[in-house]
Amino acid sequence: MTLADVIHQAPSADTLKLWLTKVPYACYLGIRAELHNNEILFILPKDKKLIGNPSLPALHGGVVGAFMEQAAAFHLIAKMEQPSLPKIINFSLDYLRPARLRDTYASCKLTRQGRFIANVSVTSWQEHIDKPNAIARAHFLIPEIKQQEK
Amino acid sequence: MPILTDAEKTKLVRIMNDHIPHTASLGIELHSVVGEELTFKMPYRKELVGDAEAGTFHGGALTVLLDHTLGMSTVCGDSMLPSVTPTLDLRIDHLGIAPPRVDIYATAKVYKATRKLIFVEGVAYYDSKDNPIARATGSWVRVADVDLTWMLGAVQQ
Repeated sequence: MTLADVIHQAPSADTLKLWLTKVPYACYLGIRAELHNNEILFILPKDKKLIGNPSLPALHGGVVGAFMEQAAAFHLIAKMEQPSLPKIINFSLDYLRPARLRDTYASCKLTRQGRFIANVSVTSWQEHIDKPNAIARAHFLIPEIKQQEK
Repeated sequence: MPILTDAEKTKLVRIMNDHIPHTASLGIELHSVVGEELTFKMPYRKELVGDAEAGTFHGGALTVLLDHTLGMSTVCGDSMLPSVTPTLDLRIDHLGIAPPRVDIYATAKVYKATRKLIFVEGVAYYDSKDNPIARATGSWVRVADVDLTWMLGAVQQ
């Protein structure tokens, strides 16, 4: 089964795990997801191969961005009434603190979903959500649902 | 006159790149330094795929490549000495999708540097940089007057 096949299953701890297994790069990074009070918490477990600055040491900024982008996409799919695979249009990332070599978390908010475009904001943190490492905004293009699927 | 020659910039970028575990693990390698323009190559690998069916790169892998290339290009700017420069922000426009199983390149260049800030732009592409699959702009902060050219001397000895 492909990712497009499995996104129609209602989001649960098991389906989120299944979705992530369908994305090779998400598996490579080791991204996990948990459900807490119906909100999805994305986790990037501490891993030495993700280091970008060995002297601190800190995670590569690009990895934090990649993790947040993946979180935004799955958060959007989970919130869609008729799930389809969104395409990233653009991604804007503000780095606030270096991400140390420890577990990193992300949570998202679907700020607006129109017919074709969705706007998702993402916050990433390590110690506490009030001390974010990075915040991001992603725009996605939502493919038109084909007539027979309605 | 540039502060560093292309050969010195190449050496410096290669030293820095080789000490970054993540880019090493992805196989990201220096392609060229021409004046202020820096190019990295990200070879195709199945772990970097986003769409398993199509076999195309994950958008996040492009984010890593662009963040890395734009960030390292601060070393190649001719108006200042290379220094420690954390990323302030990065914006990426995804303009197209590369075909499956092709290597991706990213080229970047500093377009403005002040005492405290460095503004950089770059593109990611597979066939020609005139036909980019992504375009990025970002800003980097010069936190300290740490002159990184000492690394060149450390290696020469």
